[in-house]
Amino acid sequence: MNPIDPRIHRALDGEISREALPPELRRVVERLESAAALLATAPEGGRSVADRVLARLSRHARSPLRRLARWLAAPHPVTLRIRPVWSLALAASLVLLALLPEERSAPVLGEHEGIAQFVARFPGAHSVQVVGSFNDWRTGTIPLEDRDGDGVWRAVVVLPAGAHEYMFVVDDERWVPDYSANRFVEDDFGRENSVLIVRPVKG
Amino acid sequence: MDVREGPSDAEVVARVLGGDREAFGLIVRRYESGLLRFATRVLGGRDAAADAVAESLVRAYRHLASCRDPTRLRTWLYRIVANRCKSHLARRATGDVSLDDAPPIADPADNEAALERGEQLAVVEQALATLSPEKREAFVLKHVEGMSYQEMAAVTGERIPTLKMRVHRAREALLKALEERS
Repeated sequence: MNPIDPRIHRALDGEISREALPPELRRVVERLESAAALLATAPEGGRSVADRVLARLSRHARSPLRRLARWLAAPHPVTLRIRPVWSLALAASLVLLALLPEERSAPVLGEHEGIAQFVARFPGAHSVQVVGSFNDWRTGTIPLEDRDGDGVWRAVVVLPAGAHEYMFVVDDERWVPDYSANRFVEDDFGRENSVLIVRPVKG
Repeated sequence: MDVREGPSDAEVVARVLGGDREAFGLIVRRYESGLLRFATRVLGGRDAAADAVAESLVRAYRHLASCRDPTRLRTWLYRIVANRCKSHLARRATGDVSLDDAPPIADPADNEAALERGEQLAVVEQALATLSPEKREAFVLKHVEGMSYQEMAAVTGERIPTLKMRVHRAREALLKALEERS
């Protein structure tokens, strides 16, 4: 490919006036500009992208499973009406549960599930959450806790076994990868997501 | 109604993140035509471009909270679409663009000017299709979407000197391809 006169590039980049170009170079500039103008015309035909997108978002919003998940995750006032005799039985059951050895109260994991522990150091943060492929990148579902206020935030959750991409969301606005992760992948937004491998407990 | 009127991008993003799901429609309508034009020129076909843009906008909605600077929503959206287009091209064995689903150049019943314009567009599209995907993307962002090199850097993640060189090479390749077809 033959390089074209550098003055053509400078004119197209707005660094020099095209009136300063000799006529033969000006014709080249005009040819490229007219090609670009043709390409700038709106593509014809096809379905409306807006309709498709909005229909998908609408389905996303109306999905019964998502509504159920959101209802379960949101706080709701619950009123229990109970006879005094049953309340005594309930209290006795709770005492019994509290006295059981700790290992019996551990969550029962499925065959293809494992335990993931997220630990991150964000001194001064007011909130830290983890979002990722396991919760559809939605905030408000897995908060980390810093009980002793030392800036180290933790969460332990049960996740399906396999590879999961994730990031931390600090103070509801900063999306930060977990720099202590062993693997990273670039996402569609030009950021690096951390990758976590969850091994099945009953492997 | 001109969708560029009305609330700013940052205001619309804040409304969507605040729970006003319908407000995302403003974003879609505001940028749909530009994103579709960009994807069509890069992928070489309207149907593939529509798929890429629709998928990108759904992803943009789901990840809207991660848009760090809503005042630069436009380049953020173009970046998502550019990456979708790259994935789409990578799935094609050769990376060559197909003009199979390009719109017909013009109906014979159309007037003469429209017919001539359609033929000219077909020639330019064929010439553009001979460029590598990187050069095609660079030329379209610069000369069709009218972006500055800074905006192109935000979209592609490349350095400005790299993009300038790519645009220069794209111009040269396009001129050569146009000359071969004239």
